[in-house]
Amino acid sequence: MNGELQALLDACIDAVVIIDHQGRITTFNRTACRMFGYASDEAVGRNVSMLMPSPDREQHDQYLARYLQSGTARVIGIGREVTGRRRDGSEFPASLAIGRIEGHTPPHFVGFLHDLSSRRAQEAQRQAAEEAVREARERLTHVARLSTMGEMTTGLAHEINQPLTAITLYAQAAERIASQAKPDLDEVLVALRQISAQALRAGEIIKRLRELVRNRQTHEELLDLNAVVRELAVLAESDARVNDVRLVMDLAASLPAVLGDAIQLQQVMLNLVRNAIEAVQAPGCERLVTLRTSRAGTGVEISVSDLGLGLDAAIRDRLFEAFATTKPAGTGLGLAISRSIVEAHGGRLDWRANEPRGSCFHFFLPAVNNGESE
Amino acid sequence: MKTPAACVFIVDDDEAVRSSVRFLIRSVGLQAQVYRSAQDFLAGYDPRHPGCLLLDVRMPGMSGLELQQELNRRGATIPVVFISGHGDVPMAVEAMQQGAFDFLQKPFRDQDLLDRVQRALARDTESRSRLAARAEIQVRLATLTPRETEVLQLVTRGKANKVVGAELGVSQRTVEIHRAHVMEKMNASSLAELVRMVLDSEHPTHNP
Repeated sequence: MNGELQALLDACIDAVVIIDHQGRITTFNRTACRMFGYASDEAVGRNVSMLMPSPDREQHDQYLARYLQSGTARVIGIGREVTGRRRDGSEFPASLAIGRIEGHTPPHFVGFLHDLSSRRAQEAQRQAAEEAVREARERLTHVARLSTMGEMTTGLAHEINQPLTAITLYAQAAERIASQAKPDLDEVLVALRQISAQALRAGEIIKRLRELVRNRQTHEELLDLNAVVRELAVLAESDARVNDVRLVMDLAASLPAVLGDAIQLQQVMLNLVRNAIEAVQAPGCERLVTLRTSRAGTGVEISVSDLGLGLDAAIRDRLFEAFATTKPAGTGLGLAISRSIVEAHGGRLDWRANEPRGSCFHFFLPAVNNGESE
Repeated sequence: MKTPAACVFIVDDDEAVRSSVRFLIRSVGLQAQVYRSAQDFLAGYDPRHPGCLLLDVRMPGMSGLELQQELNRRGATIPVVFISGHGDVPMAVEAMQQGAFDFLQKPFRDQDLLDRVQRALARDTESRSRLAARAEIQVRLATLTPRETEVLQLVTRGKANKVVGAELGVSQRTVEIHRAHVMEKMNASSLAELVRMVLDSEHPTHNP
């Protein structure tokens, strides 16, 4: 081999290995030496299979013989990811491209190997980073949910107190009736039925609460957003009541199914409803908030509108930025987290002016094809 | 007019709570009527109907406190027992300051509610009979002649017949005759009773 060609091979950043028709190494460039840990003169003359782990190591001679007999290429001209084996027995991922060198009879073959271990490591690192971001987002989302629930304690306590009050009164009245000389058992039955109905009502509130408070991984499923809204109603209404606001649920007759995490979407809606409730506390505003679901194009639109004072242009621009808040006790995270949840669902959370006044926060979620939920 | 039986009026926006309270009230043989809002109650309320009012402090629309203010404005004397939820104590305090009869925090024992209802009904009966008595006194006062009214005013200020006679320019004997007529027309058995009647008619009954 002339000096120019040798210099060319040694400058190559990929390993270059040339073999004859029996698999014997004839050329082994500098990068190949570095990659496999053999000196060039150690490698030349030996079977190329020593650079491979099992089972290729044992079968390479057969691959070569089959190719020479049938002419059917399995690797040549295609390239593939393979595993290389260093002198010390350690293995590494590499991409391999093989070409047949014309002009030799029987033929020679040249292999170019590119070490993928650093790329693999980068990929693993990137995946780990993505995972960490996802986990951080889930934690933050959960903390925001907890803090919302914390702010809602008064309303929720009131909401649970109602059925408890009813249960107490029915039980005590039933006891009173039952201890009379001629107890009216029909009346006792009425009370017992009411007691169980009210206990279930209290249980339902606690169930909803627990689901929102639980720390959990994102769980996507096919959703009927009307059902998601109805599940939220008990919590949202308690918050509206305690703030002396009327909450109207205006739900579309039927909606196409969307793919999403019900709890996270409820978190977004609750956040928007709570903001709206706060907006109508301004003096002179009608204390009415509307949560609406509707079909929109290829999906579903959820909107929360209020009859508050609306938003200044200056606030509007920074609405969804983290830590931007107009509330004395606000964290400035509610809308930022809500928007990131909606975006993770393939949608977008936005603001528009409400007619005749106030704000309308709305988001669109794409429908799942053929997923009509009637 | 025949007075209807006393009724416990219950205003609460929570269906379960108002139904359970009505159930309890009826279980002890009292009459009860429920309303889902303060406006509903006001629309159907006849102040002549004796009873008491059980009122949820916190309701959408007109709150319990606002209803109480409206009743005060209308001069209704119906005793109001507020029912407050968790954390509504400041509102309950305000209600008491505005003349509420009592308040209860949810959830409560039936006996606590029934005791308050009984006391509130007793208060209503008492204030209604006092109002009736005052109206009766007014009727009697209207039957007095101008001269008899003058005598009444002077003797109930503690003046002796002789002094009254001198002030009015009539004889002591004439004063005595007018005074006897006053006692008869007012159906008073003593000067003390006469004084109380005059005080009651001049100053609206204050609730103790």
